[in-house]
Amino acid sequence: MKVKSRETIAALMFLAPFLIILGIFFVYACVRAVIFSFTDYNLFNTPRWVGLANYTALFREANFLRALRNSILYSIIVTTIQTIGALIIASILNAKLKGLNLFRSAYYMPSIASSVVITLIFLWMYQRRGLFNYLATQLLRYAPIILIFLGFTLVIQTVLVLYERLRGFPAKWFDPALLVTSILLSAAGTFVVSILGLVSLREVPPVDFIWLQTKQQIPSRPEFLAMPIPLIAIMIQNIFTTIPTFMLIFLAALKDVPISYYEAASLDGATAIQKFFHITVPAVQPVLFLVVALGMIGTLQMFDQVAIFGNAVPLESVITLAYFVYNRMFPGAQLPEVGLASAAAIFLALFTLTLVVLQRTIIKSEVK
Amino acid sequence: MKKLVKMLTAVLLVTLIALPLFAGGKQEKQTAPASVETASKKEVQIRIMGYGGQDPAVVVRLLDEVIGEGLEKEGIKLSYEPLEGDYNAALFNALSAGTAADIFYIPVETAPGIIATGKVLPLNGLVDTSPFIDSLVEAYTFNGKIYGIAKDFNTLALHYNKDLFDKAGVAYPDENDNWDTLREKIGKLAGIGDNIYGISLPADYARFGAFAFAAGWKPFDEKGNTNLLDPKFKTAVEYYTGMVREGIAVQPSDLGQGWTGGAFATEQVGIAVEGAWILGFLRNEAPNIQYGTTFMPVGPSGERGNFLYTVAYGINTDSPNREAAVKVLEALTSEEAQQFVLEQGLAIPSRKALVDNPFLKKGTPEAEANRVVFEGSRMGFVYGYQFGKVGTDWFRPINSALATIMTGEKDIDTALKQAQSEIEALIERAK
Repeated sequence: MKVKSRETIAALMFLAPFLIILGIFFVYACVRAVIFSFTDYNLFNTPRWVGLANYTALFREANFLRALRNSILYSIIVTTIQTIGALIIASILNAKLKGLNLFRSAYYMPSIASSVVITLIFLWMYQRRGLFNYLATQLLRYAPIILIFLGFTLVIQTVLVLYERLRGFPAKWFDPALLVTSILLSAAGTFVVSILGLVSLREVPPVDFIWLQTKQQIPSRPEFLAMPIPLIAIMIQNIFTTIPTFMLIFLAALKDVPISYYEAASLDGATAIQKFFHITVPAVQPVLFLVVALGMIGTLQMFDQVAIFGNAVPLESVITLAYFVYNRMFPGAQLPEVGLASAAAIFLALFTLTLVVLQRTIIKSEVK
Repeated sequence: MKKLVKMLTAVLLVTLIALPLFAGGKQEKQTAPASVETASKKEVQIRIMGYGGQDPAVVVRLLDEVIGEGLEKEGIKLSYEPLEGDYNAALFNALSAGTAADIFYIPVETAPGIIATGKVLPLNGLVDTSPFIDSLVEAYTFNGKIYGIAKDFNTLALHYNKDLFDKAGVAYPDENDNWDTLREKIGKLAGIGDNIYGISLPADYARFGAFAFAAGWKPFDEKGNTNLLDPKFKTAVEYYTGMVREGIAVQPSDLGQGWTGGAFATEQVGIAVEGAWILGFLRNEAPNIQYGTTFMPVGPSGERGNFLYTVAYGINTDSPNREAAVKVLEALTSEEAQQFVLEQGLAIPSRKALVDNPFLKKGTPEAEANRVVFEGSRMGFVYGYQFGKVGTDWFRPINSALATIMTGEKDIDTALKQAQSEIEALIERAK
């Protein structure tokens, strides 16, 4: 008994540095925020108890409702796409290929760079004469040549496969050897056709899709489902940067799946897609729960991208709950609205908690 | 056993919650000796809080080389504390926590908020404001009380690329230009090449506003409301965005640049509308551009329009060394300090007397640009870069209206109507 209690004290001592930091910056701050959310505090007055007034005021704020809509849409869409994307990439990178480590490092790169840097780069690519619009323009210019090339490939591949089958070989439609042959042949064909001047580049005006300074929404109605285009721009950027992190977590989980499962499935004639859905997905289910939960928490708290996009986009198009809190805490040329900001922060915390609990009922953390 | 753990945890948690209270107590004790020091007239430490970025380099030199020695004889030691990142947020925190410096910067656009904290000392009777430019003093006067002495300021001017104008055979813009003659010159200049534009205009109120003022529009009426549907405002929008729609003007972002100065440095645009801050940039980034500077064009109102961008020094009401702080404030805005700031080429001093400064009459392009920016502060309709209580959120609806008009997403009337309803909501919210 005595030894045990001494052990407990020792454990607490070891935990102390962490507990103290957690206590000051989390528990204490959290308690203060809850208290402030019931007062009309502005940093310079004596807080006065106002009950639930801040919470009811929240739902009369147009920007808060926009922020709520943006946060929910952002969270659901980004979490879904990044989870699926990460799982697919992880299962591809789990295969035995040459130079796999190179691919793994390359795919992981976006997650290493700081989100500020990535956001600035994307901000530049989203400009009207930025990389995205440039690539789209080039794609349209080269459309005739690309179409001819694809057409040639299709025709040659069909001819080759039919020829092989006539000769009695069981050729698949996407037989790799034949595919390489037809791609090379059609490339040569396209080259000849374009040299002869039968096809040429199209003259198209530069694509002028406006990503940032716009108030367009997709779909434009109903209001609670409408995604502002600048928000979509941030979604794309965030998916790009977080997929690799989650990919790494999935990859670690996949390493634990015995290779014999896949071999047995192959013997039974399962296709790659069947293997993915019947072996890979159930095997990583506990990790799937983790990834979805982390993704949701991360996306609901999204702040830095909005802050960096700043004046380049209309505020109401990209405002999120976390940014709303900041915006009310340091509102331009007025006194801080600490009460309202705290109420919004507490709302965000409770909202996140609810969603994660709900999510738990959909994706079980244990396989039965 | 379990009880023991529970008790320990409870004790720990209580201690944790109580800890900051002790920390708070300690801090008060720390400040106490400082006031004792003042009483004994030994040595006083005056702290100054301001921007990060490039400011520390200049201000520290100002303190060390220009004003430090004289103050040291009086027993006043100076230190500069830059607040990196969001200056406004950091200053509010410091003011609220009681850790703010004795003297701090007050940016003109957020001045109403900083002053509303009640932590800024009114300077009436403490500092003589008569040597300073009136409009600068006015920008910091609220209800008859003066809360800050502008350390320096900037206005907008037209900086033009002489080589491009020579190549096009078009006369340089000059002080006689009005909107129409300027537009003509811009159009001719844009005609000399596919990727050459007469002027660079961003979808930004910080530049556009000067044109709206020249049309006779006022940002706020007596009641503090804003009217974007005013025909004068619309005239300015038509002029400003029209040049972009026509293709003779270009947004800096369409040249892959973040601001007009960057666009000017590409040598693809004839004119940039910027303040004196462009000079240092051009010196470093585009030393080969031959440029000249002239006044903003005369608008339909028969007057020019311009912004006053400024930052002031204010004194903390909680400063334990108020007298010393006033002395430092006077030294910081003294003629010799301002001469130093001017010669660094960053901003224009806020004293009236400096208009006769030999530095402004040297005849070099930089000196000429400084003179134009200096005189711009008293030509036509000049308003502070200030947005009442709404702060910098105020111009967001205007910026996005300008952007949607420039890209052709919306026509002028629809965009302005929407901006008007948004700006009304913002003003209503701030009241």
